[in-house]
Amino acid sequence: MTAPATVGSTRTVGSSTLRVEDLRILTGRGRYVDDVKLPGMLHAAFVRSPLPHARIVSVDVSAARALDGVAAVYTGADIAARTSGITPLIAPEGHKHEPIFALAFDKVRFVGDPVVIVVADSRYVAEDACELIDVEYEPLDAIATFEQALDPAGPKIFESLDSNILFEMDSSYGDVDEAFARADAVVRETFAQHRVAQMPMEGRGGIGDFNPETGDFVYHTGTQSPHTVKAYISEALGIPLKQTRAVNGDIGGAFGLKIACHREDIAVCAAAYWLGRPVKWIEDRNEHLQSSGQAREERMELEAAVTSDGTILAMRGELVLDQGAYPAVPFVGGGIVGMVAAMMPGPYALRGFAMKSKVVASNKCTYSAYRAPWAVETWARERMIDVITRRLGLDPSDVRLRNFAPNDGSASMLSGRTLLDNSCAQSLERVLELADYPRLRREQAAARAEGRCVGIGFATFLEAAPGPVNRAGGDERSVARVEPDGTLSIFTSQAPHGQGHETTLAQIASDEMGIAIRDVHVYHGDTAVGPYAMIGTGGSRAATMASGSVLHSTRQVKEKVLAIAGEMLEVGPQDLRIGDGYVYPAGVPSIRLSLAEVADRAYQSPDDLPTEIDTTLEAEANYDGGIGSWSDGTHLCHVEIDLETGQVRFLRYLVVEDCGRMINPAIVEGQIRGGVAQGIGEVLYEWSAYDEDANYLAGTFMDYLLPTASEIPTIEIEHLANEPNEEVFYRGVGEGGLLIAPAAITNAIEDALSPFGATVTEQYLPPAKILELAKIISS
Amino acid sequence: MTTRDVTIRVNGIERQATTEARRTLVDFLRDELGLTGTHAGCEHGICGACTVLVDGEPVRSCLMLAVQAAGASVETIEGLGTPAELSPLQKSFRDSHGFQCGFCTPGFVMTTLALLRENPDPTEDEIRHTLSGNICRCTGYQSIVDGVQRAARAGIGANAEVVR
Repeated sequence: MTAPATVGSTRTVGSSTLRVEDLRILTGRGRYVDDVKLPGMLHAAFVRSPLPHARIVSVDVSAARALDGVAAVYTGADIAARTSGITPLIAPEGHKHEPIFALAFDKVRFVGDPVVIVVADSRYVAEDACELIDVEYEPLDAIATFEQALDPAGPKIFESLDSNILFEMDSSYGDVDEAFARADAVVRETFAQHRVAQMPMEGRGGIGDFNPETGDFVYHTGTQSPHTVKAYISEALGIPLKQTRAVNGDIGGAFGLKIACHREDIAVCAAAYWLGRPVKWIEDRNEHLQSSGQAREERMELEAAVTSDGTILAMRGELVLDQGAYPAVPFVGGGIVGMVAAMMPGPYALRGFAMKSKVVASNKCTYSAYRAPWAVETWARERMIDVITRRLGLDPSDVRLRNFAPNDGSASMLSGRTLLDNSCAQSLERVLELADYPRLRREQAAARAEGRCVGIGFATFLEAAPGPVNRAGGDERSVARVEPDGTLSIFTSQAPHGQGHETTLAQIASDEMGIAIRDVHVYHGDTAVGPYAMIGTGGSRAATMASGSVLHSTRQVKEKVLAIAGEMLEVGPQDLRIGDGYVYPAGVPSIRLSLAEVADRAYQSPDDLPTEIDTTLEAEANYDGGIGSWSDGTHLCHVEIDLETGQVRFLRYLVVEDCGRMINPAIVEGQIRGGVAQGIGEVLYEWSAYDEDANYLAGTFMDYLLPTASEIPTIEIEHLANEPNEEVFYRGVGEGGLLIAPAAITNAIEDALSPFGATVTEQYLPPAKILELAKIISS
Repeated sequence: MTTRDVTIRVNGIERQATTEARRTLVDFLRDELGLTGTHAGCEHGICGACTVLVDGEPVRSCLMLAVQAAGASVETIEGLGTPAELSPLQKSFRDSHGFQCGFCTPGFVMTTLALLRENPDPTEDEIRHTLSGNICRCTGYQSIVDGVQRAARAGIGANAEVVR
């Protein structure tokens, strides 16, 4: 049966519907993990390694154990003896790793490596006790650089692995050698992406709660992937999966960091399990900065085969990714380099592409997913295009437009996926038009004549959100249920942490069901009620995948409502209409039933219905993404550099993007602007810095600089809306902003500094680096 | 452990408690008084998530001890509107889709409240300058600035935002 179209005035998809979440977050009524208090709850703190690499000689916890108010002290040896090591589930074949334990017991492998967990009456006392713990270390040489990691003679971070090279992969598409043989020129450059961090405003944390009477274990936390965290807790502690549960409240940002199960999660749960009392751990900012997770440390040596008219025939390169000491669980570096190679050809019509990738270990914090984890490919590619442009004396817009693959369905990315329905060329042309590009270039010439340093940069991206037909991340599930009062409950496997899914999924459901958005409640983030998903919220899966699933689960339950209402009204379901919270025969809105009346019949007096009528007012639906499609766009920025201070000022920042039809434009724009702001931070301010001995240098917000309202400019956005012929025409926007902003910004800065012969090969451009590129100071 | 009896007027209500001398105001508000709307984001005075008003002035409650607030009047996010009835300032932020994850939100709201009481019609530069003591990682700030401007246009100024 095809459900009749929903009618009525309650439709909200496409409008900037006010967020449901705001009512609590604006009034201080959000429930973040530190807001959870359980009876008898204890508090945990960690002793962490001050050294990047050292053997643990001894751990003396006697004074800490004796301190008033201390309930327990567990060392790495306790953890090793009483828990199972966990391993990354999502690792490509051949990726080397050891089982991971919550606390270090033989060696410490980075500054911040947890060594001891103390559990006490209060966090204050737990920290007092940490001060009393004496750990004796025998320092070892550390791995701080790519060269050290690649050197077979260097110290091994994991002795059981014969090397610090954990994974190697060769990717090759098309005829690379032939393309290089035909080239008029080969352009070579090495691009260095510095280590940064996701830095949500709420750090990590959790409360383990074991009920010895029932054997049930609940972990209250803030994770992007509740089902994955649950599975790892169960595995590490040996608690049956069916008695393990992970529960989120509100989450104060995550950006990929909280997609993992962290070692501290296991330690806190172990303490709670062993003590039989709730144990809370709330990370402080110093812990967060040094030990939660960091991202994006990669180096790509790249060469491009080009013809003198600016045609890019092929690219090939070598990529190294520094995974830090311990792999993220479940997503390791090998998965990231695979995405990099697969996405790097982008929207361009290359004849060949090849990448040799390596993942190495170092004595640094865990490399973890960060919004657009594969982003180095877009930055290096879009940077390279501008380098080619400058070497050939061409214009970067002409080179891009010349090289875009046709969008008529004939072209695929060399690595496989169709490029049909991308709007890359359209977005570039539109952003140049909006910026009045010829005028900008004329103004730039005039500014230079006055001694000002002004630059224009742009760059184009493809974001697989979800991308054409791709079920790699698994289908997305949801359950829709009409409650006895006629309201609709949606149970999603998403685990939102700022994206507003309680609003957007309610918009989808309310439009389909024909009820007001206030009559929809979206449940999420609890493994006891949410359908299974390995990933909760991540990978830009919500807009297409979760929306599609909610659309279909709602539709299925709507069909059940109509079947029941049809019996009640003695009208065929196909002749019914549903909208504004009522069901009625087409053309006869005066004879109507409210959803509550229909639900009441199903729940309270099903005996009045024929037995063949399905009275389960609930439906679950999977959605596989359908034909999928790209999110894409072009960002343009116009900067001015102060050559006295090295500071970069944004004169204009323009975005033209296409994410299909928008469910909620204000939410879409918030995602884009937030991503751009992180990109600005990444290029100009943020660096998870280590010294040459792998000592961590950015332990406070005075060292790790985040951009504020004074640094982030107004970001203008225009939307294109290429809608594929598919009912679910919404696409994700979570990653594109951060994916492309560093390329647009570094292209603009190089353009500004081109009179000085500057080439930007490092992404991190603090004032001193800018002045160095301008040859005002020496390196 | 050294403890002190303190009396603090919080959101217009006199609150008495015995607290450790070393307890920060943010921990006191959250743990002793159950006012969990104020969030600790960095605990070293940079991020501004813990901003509350002490005798009308914005203060980092992570850098102030509870005992230092003895005798003072403290305003927190809970003193403004409720989910059923947002205050005009909260409504302005909601109408602007000001925030995303919400963790920094109470700090921004309290900073803005102090700004608009002092300067009911700030320029965009003044708004951005004032908000630059608060970090938001989600939004890129534009929607927050828009919310402040919307509130200013709505005439929320010196007296409109009465703490209940």
